[in-house]
Amino acid sequence: MEMLLMGACLSIFGLAVCCLAFGAATRDSGNTVTVAPALEKEITKAAVLPARFFVDPPALPVAARNSVPIEALLLQIENHVRLEHAAAECFLESPNASLLHSRTMSALVN
Amino acid sequence: MTDIDLLNGLSPERAAGLMALGNRLLLTTGSELFHLGDAAENIYVVARGRVRLTLPMEVRGHEENILVEERSSGQTVGWSALIPPYRFTLTASAQLDTAVIAFSREALTSYFANHPDTGYAVSLNLSSVIGHRLQLFQAMWLREIQRMVELRCA
Repeated sequence: MEMLLMGACLSIFGLAVCCLAFGAATRDSGNTVTVAPALEKEITKAAVLPARFFVDPPALPVAARNSVPIEALLLQIENHVRLEHAAAECFLESPNASLLHSRTMSALVN
Repeated sequence: MTDIDLLNGLSPERAAGLMALGNRLLLTTGSELFHLGDAAENIYVVARGRVRLTLPMEVRGHEENILVEERSSGQTVGWSALIPPYRFTLTASAQLDTAVIAFSREALTSYFANHPDTGYAVSLNLSSVIGHRLQLFQAMWLREIQRMVELRCA
């Protein structure tokens, strides 16, 4: 009888421990839900960006572009406009699709 | 005088009559002939040198005048003086020492009222100048759109 009671007590104690553990686990998952949007964004970003080990971030070309002196950039724009003008003149002299979309040597688009 | 786009198809006498209305202006290198948004009272024919037409554009946080077109000897600039609302839509400056002949709208309109044939011929020539600009920029615009589409689809 005593053995039976002890077994019942142990079972109740075990059940209580399981309930506590379950409660704690449920509480944790509730917290996770509240921070989920932020985490989700990070996860999405991580999923979108390909894994690049030992590779510089892609911001480098922008920085390189900014290092072009503004005078040089303005000259490139001016040269581009002249070339586009010339290409458009060619198209007007003999209108056809290939001349309309002919390539130029403009540094701005190549 | 025969190389002036505004005078195409005019007899030498009529062309001389029209040219007599003009005032010769000398521009030193870099000086401004007219500014974007100014009231357009005069139309100009480049007699010598070169005129640079620009529009403002923001480049790295600074406003810069970007070349749109260049006009040289015999070509017309500032036709906004004859087209309502009579406001310049570009800025014009001399790329080198330049001479232009300025025709005031008032002088031209009263002359055309007395010489309708000349007015008709000049209007046709002006339409041709404006039409050419339109076609040119239409093509340039489409080229840019094409590049944009290619970039998007790349």
